[in-house]
Amino acid sequence: MNAVIEPPVIEALGLTKTYGTVRALDGLDLSIPRGGVYGVLGPNGAGKSTLFRILLGLIRPTEGSAAVMGGPVGQVASMRRMGSMIETPRFPPYMTARQVLRWLALEHGVGAEVDIPAWLERVGLTEAADRKVKGFSVGMLQRLGVAAALMSKPELVILDEPTSGMDPPGIQEMRALIRSLADQDGVTVILASHQLQEVQRICDRVAILHKGRLVREGAVSELTATGERLRLSVTSPDQVLAILGARGARDGAAILADVPRAEGPALIRALVEAGIGIDEARWVGDDLESVFFTETGSTRAPETPHAG
Amino acid sequence: MLADAIRAEAYRFSLNRLQVFVSVVLTPLLFAVGGVFFHIISKSRGDEAADEAGLAIPASTDPVNLAEAISFAAAGSANGVILICMLIGAATLYAGDYRWESWRLISARNDRVSLILAKLGVVKLLAIAVSLLFLVASFIFGIAQSVIYERGLGFSMDGAEAGQAALTWLLSYVRIVQFTMIALLAAVMTRSLLAALFVPWALGFVQGILGTAMPLLGWEPQMWLPQLLLPGLAYDTLKAAVTGALEAPLTDATVWRSLTGLALWTVLPLVAALAWFRRQDLSKE
Repeated sequence: MNAVIEPPVIEALGLTKTYGTVRALDGLDLSIPRGGVYGVLGPNGAGKSTLFRILLGLIRPTEGSAAVMGGPVGQVASMRRMGSMIETPRFPPYMTARQVLRWLALEHGVGAEVDIPAWLERVGLTEAADRKVKGFSVGMLQRLGVAAALMSKPELVILDEPTSGMDPPGIQEMRALIRSLADQDGVTVILASHQLQEVQRICDRVAILHKGRLVREGAVSELTATGERLRLSVTSPDQVLAILGARGARDGAAILADVPRAEGPALIRALVEAGIGIDEARWVGDDLESVFFTETGSTRAPETPHAG
Repeated sequence: MLADAIRAEAYRFSLNRLQVFVSVVLTPLLFAVGGVFFHIISKSRGDEAADEAGLAIPASTDPVNLAEAISFAAAGSANGVILICMLIGAATLYAGDYRWESWRLISARNDRVSLILAKLGVVKLLAIAVSLLFLVASFIFGIAQSVIYERGLGFSMDGAEAGQAALTWLLSYVRIVQFTMIALLAAVMTRSLLAALFVPWALGFVQGILGTAMPLLGWEPQMWLPQLLLPGLAYDTLKAAVTGALEAPLTDATVWRSLTGLALWTVLPLVAALAWFRRQDLSKE
């Protein structure tokens, strides 16, 4: 029996978008497989929003092409299989949350099929259902935007910073909702977020963009499995860096020593003999944050020492 | 897809009650209420004048012909006040998604031509609604006349008059839609509600001045240039051609020029707006 190969939900080939002399996307090739939660990461200006805007047909690429659900961007039959929320959504202020969902359900051609009260409940807006959206907080607008993106039961959902403006309980609920969409409803979720820990927690795969190009792509578990290093909190970091040479790097106030596990005890002994106080020494693997900073050439902000 | 978009636009507009009132209800309501007061005051003044003169002026006992209300409404439903009020509603419809940054909510799941045509469809529905309400207001005007002057009510209209009223109504409807087309083009090109409101108004104002200054400019109504530049003149010319209100009979050539002028001002802004909108960056709002 032949295995059925599912086509990717997103296929970008040589995608380029220029604004004057600025190249927001620079020949981006990206293929996003069906299923799971896929994170798109990158520092500000990396091209994430531009990519999403092209995929939603809001702007046209300068060069290259993109396909969504197997059809070219703009082909309504394919686009109707997708839901989206880009940045903080805004709605006509004279409408209530319930009316907004009704209006968008009509607009999306699923007016009679949508259980609006159920969606309002799912995003925690039941009590605010008949309030005008002009009084909504950013977090409430995000929730309403997510409901609007999901209520037509799309196969693919694109969410840009879905937890921005939400309080911690709201963030947790949103994470659970996104995971349940992928795990229980079989929806492919693509999200962009600056919250790298959040991405690591909920995404199955990520793409890291930098200056409009794809610099790393893969399963989160694979990306974070490499690069085990010894993290040292010491009394004189500069002295440790001098000893380690090219094998040492700062990680906030601590030092990361790129040495094999077998050499760890010898290194610690050498540091102690050199009169360096060691507060803490532990082996750390790469987290997504480390991968991100390595791939984008950015630096972490130094850890702020606790007062008192 | 167009039907979905029209339903959605109509639903959204219906929730904006102030806009619905201003664009559709306000002018017919003012006309109906004003008409009743007009009859009351006219009768009262007339009675006072007759008393002072010591005369018994015989009042007309002919029944009020309600069919005249139909002709009046057909010819008057594109009057200046209705045009301005309809412009307010149309501008809100055309520029609303730029103002509320809501294009990105709706444009990914429908084709852009349908989205614009849906807005146009709702404006057309509003134009029909306002002319129907104006007809109702004209009936109220006639009924009030009958009650206040204690005259009967009648209805007399032959086939020719009915046809004339239907054609005049169609012209008025086209004139309303044509006037709001400039709002569509201005909204799409500038992304601004204010531009959608003021560009058609300012253009209409300039065209009005040009129409008044035609003799000074050496323009005759039957010439190509004024008929192409002034859609209001084209509308008036065609209306006069239908009702036979002109002293001199219109030539076929003039009628065609008027039709061309009105059609161009209706179709060209739509085509330009669609062409512009299809390539527009909808992420900037």
